[in-house]
Amino acid sequence: MKLGAYALTLALVSGAVQAQAPETLAWLRKMQDAAQKLSYTGTFVYQNAGRSETSRITRFVEASGDIEKLEVMDGVPREIVRTKDTVRCYLPGARLVKVDRRTERGFPALLPERISAVAKNYDISLGETRRIAGYDCQAVVLTPKDNLRYGYRLYADSASGMLLRAVTFDAGGEQIEQFMFTQLVIGGVTRDMVKPRHASRSWRVEDAEASPARAAGWGLSSELPGFQKVVELKRRLSDSRPAAQMVYSDGLAAVSVFIESVEGRLEPVRPGMASMGAIHMYTREVANHVVTVVGEAPAASVQRIANAVEYRP
Amino acid sequence: MKDRISALMDGELDDRSASELIGNLTHGSENAEAWRAYHLIRDALRGTAPLSAGFSARVAWKLADEPTVLAPRRIRSGRSDSPRWFTLSAVAASFAAVALVGWLAFAPQQPAPAPVLAKAPAAEKPLIVPMPSSANDYLLAHQGFSPRVSLQGMAPYVLTVAEHPAEAARK
Repeated sequence: MKLGAYALTLALVSGAVQAQAPETLAWLRKMQDAAQKLSYTGTFVYQNAGRSETSRITRFVEASGDIEKLEVMDGVPREIVRTKDTVRCYLPGARLVKVDRRTERGFPALLPERISAVAKNYDISLGETRRIAGYDCQAVVLTPKDNLRYGYRLYADSASGMLLRAVTFDAGGEQIEQFMFTQLVIGGVTRDMVKPRHASRSWRVEDAEASPARAAGWGLSSELPGFQKVVELKRRLSDSRPAAQMVYSDGLAAVSVFIESVEGRLEPVRPGMASMGAIHMYTREVANHVVTVVGEAPAASVQRIANAVEYRP
Repeated sequence: MKDRISALMDGELDDRSASELIGNLTHGSENAEAWRAYHLIRDALRGTAPLSAGFSARVAWKLADEPTVLAPRRIRSGRSDSPRWFTLSAVAASFAAVALVGWLAFAPQQPAPAPVLAKAPAAEKPLIVPMPSSANDYLLAHQGFSPRVSLQGMAPYVLTVAEHPAEAARK
């Protein structure tokens, strides 16, 4: 059984990956399978230096696809419901539903070629075993090979592969943020449990209307090592502002570049760096456009991508 | 005359011929125009961004406003010691001039935005700003493409509906 998993992993991934212990790659696949196949409901805490927030997450799997719901337990009861190709955010404070659809394909998965990209940019090793929320977990540690990305310590249930805790750490090993289940039940989920609780019929709907498109003339003068462009599309942001989006990924972390015209903006442009946990957001103006670069990457990486954005008519 | 202007630009004239020719490049003359056009061509070939329209007029105006500084002139002999990037032969120069004029003639009337080069703000320490009020829109659009979602499920989405303290304080 175990040998079979090794052979499968080796057959699937490219030569660059074979340097990594096959067992650790098998663990990544196991986690991914669990994230796709298990029904569960549980309470998790998101924590970074400045905040901590409790949410409930419920996942329902059926043949026609899966439905996942996240409810924020603190403050205004916001909800996010994700189906195979659509994400809906229910914001009762603003009586608003934000809709984000995937047209071209489903949500990103760690496909074999992506796992090889991960292995190129991170050293993957097995870490400690630890009990979390009643589950015996195995840690898989992804240590970045350079300081352009963060590291991750992922704790998965040894039996099912379900991820119970994910810690993001920086080059100095300092914890940046973490997601951790404090309570989790696998199985026993019904369809009713993933329905949105808000009667949102009279609420305003903001549809991002995302569709693949090239942002003519825009690009990066130099790409960040290890990061490759994975998608390019047009969409709408709030107030129906049209924007172009380009996404760069190293297989695990991703950074998005948004480009909008300066004209018609209600909010003044504030160039600079904002951050929240592992997320950095850098804003600058280029050729009469606002460029906003967002991603779960160190500030220097986000800034480097932002500074490489150029317009060549 | 044109090939001499080209030679002057390339630093190939001796001092006497050079000063003679420079004396001929009086403002508004045909030679001065050629001198200007050749520089424009050379800049275009080198990829140097052209200056904004009216730049030379503004500099001339500023210069006219400056007090005259009486200082001894530096004596230079021999050829120019500045590196020569392109040596434009007179023929090539006139071809390039035709091409440039053609390009100007067919270019759209609206001035095309100049290419914006990336290296401009190379600041090490960026200005720290609070999350913009539309931060959640960006995060929602971004999160759908983050591969970590395939391991962590929806958990990272919690950030896309975060209440930002800066925003709350402003309300």
